[in-house]
Amino acid sequence: MTPPPTPVRQPPAGPDLELLLGDPTQTANPLGYAALVAADERGELSTAGERALHDHGLNAEFVPAALGGRLVGADHLMRRLRAVFRRDSALAIGYGLTSLIASVPVWTSGRPAQRARLAELLLAGGRAAACYTELPHGTDFGRAEFAARAQAGRLVLTGRKDLVNNVARADLLLLFARTDDRPGSRSHSHLLLDRSTLPPDRVTFGPRYPTSGVRGCQLGGVAFDNCPVSPDAVLGEAGTGIETVLRGFQVTRSVLPGMVVGSLDTMLRTVTRFALDRRLYGAPVADLPQTRAVLGGAFADLLVADCLATVAVRALHVLPEQAPVLAPAVKYLVPKLLQDAAYQLSVVLGARGYLREGDYAIFQKHLRDLPVVTLAHASSAVCLASIIPSLPVLARQAGDGPGEVSDQLYRWEEPLPALDFAGLQLAARRDDVCADLRAAHRELAGTGEPHRLTGIFVAELDRLRERALALPPRDRTVTAGRPGFALAARYTVLLAAAACVGVWRHAPAASFLAEPTWLVTALTRLADRLGADGGQRWSTGADAERYRRLCAELSDRVADARSLDLADRRLAG
Amino acid sequence: MSDTTISSTPAVAGWLAERVAFYLERPADEIDPDAPLVELGLDSVYALTLCGDIEERYGLVVEQTLPWDYPTVNALAGHLSGVLAGR
Repeated sequence: MTPPPTPVRQPPAGPDLELLLGDPTQTANPLGYAALVAADERGELSTAGERALHDHGLNAEFVPAALGGRLVGADHLMRRLRAVFRRDSALAIGYGLTSLIASVPVWTSGRPAQRARLAELLLAGGRAAACYTELPHGTDFGRAEFAARAQAGRLVLTGRKDLVNNVARADLLLLFARTDDRPGSRSHSHLLLDRSTLPPDRVTFGPRYPTSGVRGCQLGGVAFDNCPVSPDAVLGEAGTGIETVLRGFQVTRSVLPGMVVGSLDTMLRTVTRFALDRRLYGAPVADLPQTRAVLGGAFADLLVADCLATVAVRALHVLPEQAPVLAPAVKYLVPKLLQDAAYQLSVVLGARGYLREGDYAIFQKHLRDLPVVTLAHASSAVCLASIIPSLPVLARQAGDGPGEVSDQLYRWEEPLPALDFAGLQLAARRDDVCADLRAAHRELAGTGEPHRLTGIFVAELDRLRERALALPPRDRTVTAGRPGFALAARYTVLLAAAACVGVWRHAPAASFLAEPTWLVTALTRLADRLGADGGQRWSTGADAERYRRLCAELSDRVADARSLDLADRRLAG
Repeated sequence: MSDTTISSTPAVAGWLAERVAFYLERPADEIDPDAPLVELGLDSVYALTLCGDIEERYGLVVEQTLPWDYPTVNALAGHLSGVLAGR
């Protein structure tokens, strides 16, 4: 178990990104929706946006405080970047996230000199590119063929990497390579290469790939042909590539989907404005019960996504024993929640959901960007596959809580101990989050819907446990058949439900988050995903009343320019 | 766990071979204790799972990369037996 964590004071945040980027609805704002849609039409990243983020020193968010940056808490990192995702996912990925993804392995396993070099570069506003993908192997990095072979005191690189963001304009390249021909998990390493030191005649950058979403991002390929580099390029120890990926990607796979919650904020805000402005049958569209269910439902789903992402990023700090399953659960389920909500919202918007001009054009941009952004970094299949082997282990550990660090997991505003990259583990050993759900269910006796709904998830947890223990050995790994994948997918829904219950129970009294309204709606919708609630949601006036209450909160937040996530913070517009 | 009938190298190797055989769905006596686990068909993910089994069986907390660094049944057994004897 982790030692009792000491909360660390977050370093000064610098100017608020929200204020810096300004009211996005103002057409005159060079960082507003109109300008960002125009840049997207041109297939460019917003120059004004890149300049603003550069001047803000956004990269410092990705550099640990110990190395001179502002990164202490993954939770702060996730919430701060929402300001950028709220405006333009392409800008967020193209300016910043690419560098974060390339940095995390260096913070996890790099030697001190390598860490210092990257920190210095990022703090000066430079870019790093994460070269993992090889088209024949997708996100299955373990099969990577890009080779680095020792030859006369040098490392000689041969192979291709593709679909790498910013590859042609990065100062540092982090490259995942095979450094040993033997099969096994000690045959890959990361290489950290200074672009300026590479012999130009041995490295070829391919043309940019056009994409359906995040059209401003500059995805490209790079080919190395017998390119000699210094053996010092190996990140940390040779042979630690897979280990570093398994540890470090827990950070990015938790924070990235949590940041993209900002994109759904914009879509929901845009459609809410539309529904309040547009009148049908003598009243605003927003007053139609069906519209209310869509808007209130999307709001509830946004909160679910934030709860799960928040618990996962906090687990990186205080429950590294469970983070190895929470991270892929976030990367699998959060994109699904966001995309399902986005689709429902597009129906309310009607034709304006696909028009590339006019007051609501930002919606279609986010709608196109979302699938590309959420696929980046790990596909849903890879995420589920990495959960499957842990299911029997976690089933055998099934406790009934509460866990020792529950307060720290669910009190989303509480300071956390600094993120310890080296303390991240390779596989999950505990399941405190589901244990907390069991404890919550017992303690909620007499509360009506919260008790009934948590009961549905506890029963599902019992079934999942039985089925996980009965999985044949061959179905416990990446080549598992459908039952293994289905169990892993259902497990992510249980984690989301447990995260919501935890956040609700630990919310400050009398706050919106302490009300059962959002929780009951969220749990009902999650139970629907499991097909586990027998159509309860169709049944009662209480249901309609909850959507009415959620929409009232939503309209208030939109009118007051407050965020729709757990933070409920002031926005620029 | 100082009971050498459980913690001796042959005893640990026997138990490990059974676990490996379970995952591969083959008889334990077909498992070559000197063959790299990965060549027997246990990839990196199985190796992590095997670590979980080791922790449960012996009440140890081990490095989760153990089967990567001791990549055969005999290598793992020799290492674990040493750890168990030292407790």
